[in-house]
This record gives sequence, C-alpha cells and structure tokens, in this order.
Amino acid sequence: MISTTETETPGFSQKIPLYEGSTQFRHWRYSPEQLARTRSAMNAAAVQAIKDAFEADLPGSSSDVSFLSADEEILLVKLYAGKVSQLCGHFRFPEEVEATAVTYLKRFYLKNTVMDYHPKNVMLTALFIATKTTNHPISLEAYANHIPKTLPSDVLDLEFLVAQSLGFDFAVWHAHRALWGIWLDIQNLPDIRMDELRQAYDVALKHVRASRLTDAELIYTPSQIALACLSLASPSLAAAWARSQHNSRSPTPPSPPTPMPPSESAVLDIIEPIASMITTSGVLPDVEAVREVDRRLRLCKNPEKVVGSNAHKRKQEEKEHKAAEKRARKAERIRKAMEDGDPFGTSLHEQDLDDDDDDDED
Amino acid sequence: MSNRNGWLRGTTIRKGGTSFNSNHTRHTTPQIQSTSSTIFGGGVKDPSGRTSEYFSMDDQCPVCKSDRYLNPKLRLLVSACYHKMCESCIDRLFTLGPAPCPVCAKTLRKLAFTPQTFEDLGVEKEVAVRRRLAKNFNKRREDFPDLRSYNDYLEDVEDIAFHLINDIDVPETEARIAKYKIENANLIELNVQREEQYAQYLKEQEEIDRLDREQRAAELRRLEEEEREEREKGRRELIDKLETSDKDALKLVARSKAQALKRASTRSASSSASNVFQSNAKLLRSRAAQSTVIPDVPHVPLQDDWYAYEDKFALRDNYDDPVSEAVRRDREGIMRAGGYRVEEAWQRALTFAVAGLDLRPLGSAVPSKSTEPADVVMAEA
Amino acid sequence: MDAVEKANAATQKKWAKDAKIGEGMYAVVYKGREVAAGRPVAIKKIKVGQFKDGLDMSAIREVKYLRELKHPNIIELLDVFSSKTNLNLVLEFLDTDLELVIRDRSLVFLPADIKAWIAMTFRGLEFCHRNWILHRDLKPNNLLISADGQLKLADFGLARDFADPGYKMTCQVITRWYRPPELFFGCRYYSTAVDIWSVGCIFAELMLRTPYLPGESDLDQLKTTFRALGTPTEEEWPGHTKLPDYISVGQFPRTPLRDLFTAATADCLNLLSKCFTYDPKKRISAKDALNHPYFFALPYPSHPSKLPKPAKKSSPLEEMDGNVDLSGPGPTVKANPPNKLKRKLSSGEGDTRSIARKLDFTQKSPE
Repeated sequence: MISTTETETPGFSQKIPLYEGSTQFRHWRYSPEQLARTRSAMNAAAVQAIKDAFEADLPGSSSDVSFLSADEEILLVKLYAGKVSQLCGHFRFPEEVEATAVTYLKRFYLKNTVMDYHPKNVMLTALFIATKTTNHPISLEAYANHIPKTLPSDVLDLEFLVAQSLGFDFAVWHAHRALWGIWLDIQNLPDIRMDELRQAYDVALKHVRASRLTDAELIYTPSQIALACLSLASPSLAAAWARSQHNSRSPTPPSPPTPMPPSESAVLDIIEPIASMITTSGVLPDVEAVREVDRRLRLCKNPEKVVGSNAHKRKQEEKEHKAAEKRARKAERIRKAMEDGDPFGTSLHEQDLDDDDDDDED
Repeated sequence: MSNRNGWLRGTTIRKGGTSFNSNHTRHTTPQIQSTSSTIFGGGVKDPSGRTSEYFSMDDQCPVCKSDRYLNPKLRLLVSACYHKMCESCIDRLFTLGPAPCPVCAKTLRKLAFTPQTFEDLGVEKEVAVRRRLAKNFNKRREDFPDLRSYNDYLEDVEDIAFHLINDIDVPETEARIAKYKIENANLIELNVQREEQYAQYLKEQEEIDRLDREQRAAELRRLEEEEREEREKGRRELIDKLETSDKDALKLVARSKAQALKRASTRSASSSASNVFQSNAKLLRSRAAQSTVIPDVPHVPLQDDWYAYEDKFALRDNYDDPVSEAVRRDREGIMRAGGYRVEEAWQRALTFAVAGLDLRPLGSAVPSKSTEPADVVMAEA
Repeated sequence: MDAVEKANAATQKKWAKDAKIGEGMYAVVYKGREVAAGRPVAIKKIKVGQFKDGLDMSAIREVKYLRELKHPNIIELLDVFSSKTNLNLVLEFLDTDLELVIRDRSLVFLPADIKAWIAMTFRGLEFCHRNWILHRDLKPNNLLISADGQLKLADFGLARDFADPGYKMTCQVITRWYRPPELFFGCRYYSTAVDIWSVGCIFAELMLRTPYLPGESDLDQLKTTFRALGTPTEEEWPGHTKLPDYISVGQFPRTPLRDLFTAATADCLNLLSKCFTYDPKKRISAKDALNHPYFFALPYPSHPSKLPKPAKKSSPLEEMDGNVDLSGPGPTVKANPPNKLKRKLSSGEGDTRSIARKLDFTQKSPE
C-alpha cells in the first residue's frame, strides 16, 4: 500500500514536523554506528590524555595502569542510571524528573569519559539539574542533606559543566509520555477490552523504564520506543494501533532523508530492533562486573581532575598564571589610558573592561 | 489670569484695545490696572497680537518716587524719549497739552507714551528702531547680484540702526533713510507684497491640511457605515430568501457570501486609496505613499511552517485515564475554577505518541529487518 | 572534557561583543555582531555561580525554551556558548518594544496597526501553546519589535511547560496589571487562559494608549478589574468562590466595553470581551482568536514594515537599570529584574529613525 499523497498535497511537504525542530532531534540523534564510534574515539582520546598526565607526573607510571574500555564505561554509566531511579523514589520525584535525569546522564557521557568524571557525582548533579529544568525544583540544601555522604558543593561544582556538556539542551521528549498518548488513542479503536489494555499498559511501562538503561532514546523517537514497549506487552494491541495510525486521515510528510513513503509494516520494522534492544540490554549490569570496573577506575582516574594531586595542582597554577597575566595586561591598559590624559581611554569596545572576562581565553 | 509670583507678569492688551475702564469689579482682572482714563496702546506685540507688560516689584516712578508699596496700581509707561514715569505723573503733566519731559526736556505729547515690554529700556528702544527700519529696508538676498553686495547692504542697515539707537548724527541718518526710501521705492513695495503673499500662502496650507484630515475621517466613517449597512442588508436578504425560496439553503448562503465578498472587493478597490488616508496629515501622507508600494494583505491565521501532527489523532473529551482521574473528579471544583484543562495534557501526550513515529532512524539504509550493530556494542561483560 | 570547551571556544569565536547596553542583577547585555555576516545581535552574559542553588531558574527556563522554539513571532536564540563561569545567550537584536511604541505620543495608531500587532502576538503565543509552553509574563515590555516591524515574544524567564494533571503551579506569575483574577485568587491549577488574559490587557492598552487595569496592589488590582468588567457571578464563573485566596472586593456592575472603547468596531470588542471572559475554561484560545472575524474584517492588518516605531533615544544606558524599573508599568513579580535587558537599544550610531528614512528602505523602486 504505497501511498502517493505527498504529491497530492504539495504544500504539506513543506511543513516541518514539530519533533524535528527540537534539540533532541537535531543534536542528540545517532545511528548505532555513530554511537559506537563516538564512544571509542572519546575513550581513546581520554586514555591518551590521561597517559600523558601520568607521564608528566611520574615518567613511566602510565604503563602499569589498566585503562577502561568504551564498553566498560557504558557499564558504569548504566549502573548509575539505575541508581537514579532509587533516588527519585526516595525523594518522590515524578517520572518526568527521573527520565530527564537519566537522559542527561547518558548524554553527558557521550561528551565526557568516566575516567575524568566519576558517574557518582555526575549522576547527582544531573538529577539536580533535572529537577530544575522540569519545574520541580528543590533547594540544594534539602537535596544534599538527604543524600548520604554528600555535600552541596559536590553537586554544585559539576553543575555548570554538566549543563555545558549537554549543550544546554534541556528539553527532552520522553517515551513514557508517548506511551500515555498511545493508551489514550487506543481507546478510539473498536473492540478494545479495557482490562486487557490496562494490563498491557502496566507491562509496557515497565519496559519503558527498562529502555532508559539502553541507547534507545539516542537512536529512535519516543513514539517508536513507546510502541516497541507496547508490542512487547501485547503484540496485537500494538499492531492494531499501528494499523490505525497508517490508515488515519493523511500520511505524515516524509522527513527529509528518506523519499520512501511510510507503510504500516515500515513502522513495525523500525520498532522491532528496539524491542530486542530493550530485552537484551534493558537490564542492570551484573554487580560483580561493575565492582571490578569501579576498582580499576580508581586507579586510572585522570590525575588532573583529582583535587590534591600534583597534576591538578599544576593545572591550577597554570590557570592562575594565565589569569594573573590577564589582570596585568588590563592594569597596563588602564594605566596607559590614564597617562594619555583621557581617563576613559580609547573607545569602549577596544577595551573590554569586563570583570570576569575569561571568555577570551581557552 | 493672575500669575502669582511671576517674574514677568502680563496683561494682555488686545490689538483692538478693549477697555480697561470697568475693571474694578472683574475678579479676573490682571495685576496691573490702569488708573488713567486714557487708553495706552502700543508696546511691543508678539505674533499673536498680544503684548505682555514688564513688571517688577522694584518699580518706582523717577518723577514722583511712588512705588508699588505706596501705590499698588502703579503702572509705568515709557515716553518717546525712553524715559519712564507713572500714569498719574503723565496725567498730571501732559493732560493740558504737550509739555517738556521732566528728564530730558524734550517736548512730549500724552499719547506718545507706551507700556514697557522689556526690562531694559535700551532694548525697548532698539526693538522699536529695528522694527521701523525693517519696514523699509526689506531687501532680500535674491535682490542682489552677489553675496558681497548683499552683505554690504546689511552692513549699511546696521550702521543706520546703530546711529539711531545711540543718538548719533540723527538728522544725517534720517536723511539717509529718506534717500533710501526714494531710491528704492519700487523694490520696497514689491517686497512688501511678496511678504504678504507668503503669509497668506502659509495660512492656506494649514487650512488645506485641516480639511484633508476631516475629509478622510469622514470618508472612513462613511465607508464603515456602508459596510455595516451592506452586511445587514445582505443578511436580511438572505433571511428573506431562505424563508421564501425553495432552493437549497446551503446554496443560498454560499451565494450570499460570494456576493458580499464581491461587494467588499469592489468597494475596497475603489476606496483603497482613501482607506489609507486618515488623521494626522503629514505622517499619514507618507504612510499612504508606502501603501502603494507595500499593500496590506488579508489576515492569515497561522503563517508558520510547523506541522503538529494534528491529523494523526482525534482528541476526545473523555478518556479512561487513571493519571488524570483525581483531577477530573475535582470535587471542590478548584481545578475547574482555575481553568486547568486536562485536554491540554492529553493533547500533549497524544502528540508525543505520534511524533516521529515513522521517522527512519539514522544509519539504517534498508527499511527491512537488519541486525542491529547496537546489540554488539551493548554487549554485556 | 576539553572537547566540550573547544567546541565552546569555536562557537564563541563566531560572535563578537561590542558595547554594553544593559546590566541587571544576574546578566549583562551587550550589543554584538556575527563575525561572518555582520548581523547585529544581543549577547546576554549570565554570571553563573551567583546563587546558593546554582544555575538560576530564569536562566535555565530561557535557554530551555528558546532553544526549542523557532518562529517568526518569537525571539530567536541564535547560539549559546559558555566560558568557565559565564553563560552567553546570543539573541537576535531587537531595537524596540511595544511599550515604547505605546508611550511615544508622537506616534499615531491606525486600527489596522493594532490589528497587526495583536495578530502577531497571538501567533507567537499560539506557537508557544502548541509547544505546550505557558509564557506567564506577557506585557508590552516583553513584546519586542524588530527593524522590519515584526513583533516577537521575549523573556521566557517565567515560562514553563504545561503541568501534568495534579501538579501544582505557582500563582505568583505575570506582572500584576496583566494578571488574570484566577491567579489573584490563588489557584494552583491553571492553563493557557492566563496568557490570553494578558493579551487582552495589551490589546486594550493599545487602544487606550495607557494601561487598562493598573492596580496598585493585588487587592486594588482585583477591584480595578471588577470595576472595569463587573464582578463575576457564580453563574459566569462556577466555583471561583472556592479558590484558595478568594476574597470579595465588592459588587460592581458590568459596564459595556463600548463605553470606554468608543472607537472600536463591534468585532474588535467581541474579541476583546472573549479575552476577558472570567471563566478560564470559556476564555478564547489563541488559535480561535486568530480565526476570529475581527482579523478578517476590513481594514486588513497593516504590513509589518509600515507599523509605527518610536524615534531612537540618545542614551540607551539609562534605560537599562536592571534594579529600578524606570518605565515601571507596575512592579514585576520576578526576583530578578532584568527584563529591561530585552530592550536592546543600539548605542545611537547616528541612525535616525525618521519616517523619511523608513521610506527610503521600503521604496526600492519608485512607482
């Protein structure tokens, strides 16, 4: 059933679907290969940098260190993603907060390595940010006080970094809301048994939660993930709804890359891999394996990021030096201006007299 | 009209010279009241034809030494030889005919006295002199072959004025003036006429602008009225037709609408120019000019390019929905009164459910099943 | 880690900062330009680490929503970059706002102008609502106007997503003069209707050239509102007496809008009254408003390029005091004042906005 309606409604195809305007679609959409490549590249770069830091500290020390692989990093991230759920239950944060925090965590580690930043604190920070961006804010004090062995500074220190790594893309479209939507829309279908639907929904929701441990949201859209979860719970209901979607008034204008019109089976084809992804990877990692990784992490952490280490001190000094230089330059400029007789110096925009203008560096 | 504490208090002496005689009873009388039975006109007038008189608490008549304290109604006038004295003195000295000025002994008549406008009598004199000269020395730049000669002329005028003001060689200067008048009689006359014409022209322009404005406003009102009437008429006709005719109601309505539209478009075509002209002449004339270049277009409700999947689902007003159960029950009616709309939350969920449903994921070239490398990457330890 | 910083540095290089044009409690605004194209921009530099709770909520909201919304009637966030302690938002440069336009007595409004402005406001607002965002701070000050006359919604510091059922929202939003009565009555569950009320107030203000409902305190605001529109009855607005902060402020009769808005057409008043419906559920929606006969009736809405704009002021800096609301249309609700920052007046580089100038640009070829 190939439909050719895009030619019938030419104006339609010029419209951009709402989802495709979101930052989630524009910045955080990968193919599985891209994900793998990104992670391994980042891992390799990190390993190199840390090796150098070790060498600078103590030549020859780096050869003893066993660095983490990209897969092992993923393991660790997954573990902490699971912990988010626990914390949210403890604080009674709504599902939206939990889902957002997990997304932030995963996205963060597409741009950073666990060897630079341990997931424990990143997770806490990501959750804190999520409470703010989803309009369920909590005071930092209240937050930190309810988490054992955590100071407010532990959370706050990383806040800007996490936000930066996210590219300040705070809005996230979640699969659980899409599932809710399917639940509502299915009620439009004839011959739906509500108890069957209700049961399927509960199971599907569990799958949605499991999907958060996978890479699904980085590859597929929330609606696809939701449908996949439903198909795991009740294949017939999912198929029925997908069919109704295809038969609905007018078809979706095809999104740019693919000229092929969508067909009912196409949608089902897309969600099949999601379903298998959820069943295979949607589980918490084996505790023992993780413990092992964690132990090794302690040894291969980037010394530059560890407060108190030589490398860190050195980096700090470097920073201080740069800042001092800059201050001196600024003072010089002002002094010159005063000497020239014009206390206001040359025109404003030649002199950037900001207070904290470390923007010019880096 | 009494301005208290005004440095420069004014009496308005109208051009026609309305009487101040019976002013003791008027509570709006200005501060300065004439005690004399003579009306003193003259004085420096401003463009609207009124003068405002100079006044100060320190005024004192140099002749009788009375001041405001002793005589609240003190009014000082200025003689032709530019000496001040109060009205009572003037009365006393000059009622019986011309008499010498007590200060400079120049013979003066009573009527030669004018009210003072400027604080400095010197200024008063100068102004009077220049006024007088300007009546005759009214040549303009265009009347001269070059700038140099024009400037020479101006310098001559200044020279004459200087002499007159400072009482230097007065008879000779007067002779010069007389000579000039004779020599340039024609040109003077011409220039006087020119000035009058210009003043007239300005007035006419103003009048035109005002009429313009009014006309446009009336036009617009008329247009609106017309429109309203037409609409009404159209409606009435339609109702009539619906009642009487046996044709299909929909067709009638459609036809009526088409007619109305036609009427509207013809009307706007004919009056599109005048539609744009409304109040505030100058501003709108420029906007009118703009409108012929950039026409206003009919309203289009939504003009953006976003597709919100509205056609992919149908929002109902009721669902079996545990999530919003409590809200909808809302026994207190609080949520209802506040205006919370569950439908909005539902719409959001439904949109999420269909958004990007058939968006092909990146990296999958073949629409059919393919082994996902993702599984390999996600291999567990 | 450095990868992130490197990316940032690259982004930063795309934008050059010029003069400072405003300063507030937590941000400084600069005029700037795009290095490649020379396009003027405003760069809002937000200092991070000022508050004990970390990143400021207003900043987060602005970034979050502006990043997602792209619409001709919503201010465009061109880029975001950050340095170690600063968050920089690169916004499109808009030189004036609707408040300045209303205040400038030398400007004359045609009914077509008002229609155009309100249409653009509704379009921007409808798009927000389509994306499930409540603006919650609509006022003329926050409706910026671009050089080609387009009106744009700005300042999303108080915006938020629609709430999920059962979740409370704060009622301390929207500047007092533009706040609907349900918020004064303390309701915690509201919807898009609150924004529509604000637009109604702005609509009225455009016609009156002065704020329509200026109250001096919350209580006074209610009184003013009811005096103008009549006290709501239970029939009109079911359940309003049960709202948390409900208080009776007196019985005022409903006076017809026509008495005050003498120059308005029937369509216009009809739309206005629909914006001021007391029952939020019955208040018109942005989408329906755009389909109201008022917009389709003659005269057509003015083309944006022909809309009046105020003459440029000479010293932009004195407008920008973030702590003192100089033009003060009533106190703002926010803890952080800088909404003035949105008024991005240029540093008077000799460009006079006389009408003649405007003519030059629009008349490409004389007829």
